[in-house]
Amino acid sequence: MTDDGDISRRYRELAREEPPRHLDDAIRAAARRAVGTRPAPLVVPTGRQRWYFPLAAAAVIVLAVAVTLHVEREQPEEEIVTAPAATPEKPKLEQPGSAPQPERRRKTESADSRESRNAAPPAELQKAPEAVPTLPPAPPPVARQEPPPVAGAAARAAPEASAQLRRFDEGVRGVPSLSASALQSPEQWLQGIADLRKQGRHDEADRSLAEFRKRHPGYQIPEPMREKVEKR
Amino acid sequence: MEAPDEELMLAYGGGDAGAFETLYGRHRGGLFRFILRAVKDRGVAEELFQEAWVRVIEARSRYAPKARFSTWLYTIAHNLLVDHWRKKGLSLVSLDGEDAASESANPARHAESREALARLLHALEALPAAQREAFLLHEEGGLSVAEIAAVTGAGEEAAKSRLRYAMAKLKAAVDGN
Repeated sequence: MTDDGDISRRYRELAREEPPRHLDDAIRAAARRAVGTRPAPLVVPTGRQRWYFPLAAAAVIVLAVAVTLHVEREQPEEEIVTAPAATPEKPKLEQPGSAPQPERRRKTESADSRESRNAAPPAELQKAPEAVPTLPPAPPPVARQEPPPVAGAAARAAPEASAQLRRFDEGVRGVPSLSASALQSPEQWLQGIADLRKQGRHDEADRSLAEFRKRHPGYQIPEPMREKVEKR
Repeated sequence: MEAPDEELMLAYGGGDAGAFETLYGRHRGGLFRFILRAVKDRGVAEELFQEAWVRVIEARSRYAPKARFSTWLYTIAHNLLVDHWRKKGLSLVSLDGEDAASESANPARHAESREALARLLHALEALPAAQREAFLLHEEGGLSVAEIAAVTGAGEEAAKSRLRYAMAKLKAAVDGN
């Protein structure tokens, strides 16, 4: 008489059918694929994500080129600003808000005509030249246009933000300004002052020269140029 | 000491393809025979077998070891078999408790076979589907009565009864009764 254990033993002696090898391979491959795709999505992008990678690479390249160009443009001006750092007049420029000087400048400015205001904007405009959008070198101050009154009022009311707006406005209109002059080389700036003298616009020339000396306190103006730019 | 099935399945859910290899190696034969002897058609058995493992793969991240892995695996296979029978207009449970008059239960074939193993195989094929399933879950899946009940959705008493009847019939076949 057989018992349950005997039945189990005899059952196991029966033919031991197995799944075919191709089925084993297919199932194992499916199992590997299922977990293999998850940890490495960046290596084998699929579907809609395919275009992310070229786009990201292009964006990185464009950004790198833009930063490089920006840095190259900034460097010459930095040299001009940092070279005279050891001169004793520098601290005056570094403390625009502490001394009464800015206040004096504002008073001077309010007394001037609107026209002269265009040529000599408030000192706040010159604080952060690196923040000024890149402007082309200012042409000689020949043809000038009045800026809209609103722009002028705004510049006085809200110094920094309005000043930036005004600088942009003036740059677009081709009217020279001190901030635009500051973007020029010292030689170009001096030549502009000499041109003003030639045209008999001595007030503007004086202001521009004074600003020049503040901006470039250590700059030795060559004698021939000094004769052209200084008041005779 | 070998890692338990549940641990391997969790490891596979965590991305360890090697854990699946081990798990598959342990259960491939038993599951295949369980399905093959239920459907008696190799092509259909292969199809259902593959589908069962695909479901395991798909459920890897949701798997929680509430019961033994083999209970879960054979539940998947059982459900696939039920779907298969439904498509064919048959039912596993409808044959419960009554002898199926299959060809292999033919007394003439029994007489021709003198070997006990052959008689066992024929008797197995002749079992009612639910009893055969209970027996195969016990032998191939190593499931207990409670686990058989859980897999088949039957009560424990019904599962126990099916297994007892199956054993009795197979014994009778082996003994030549």
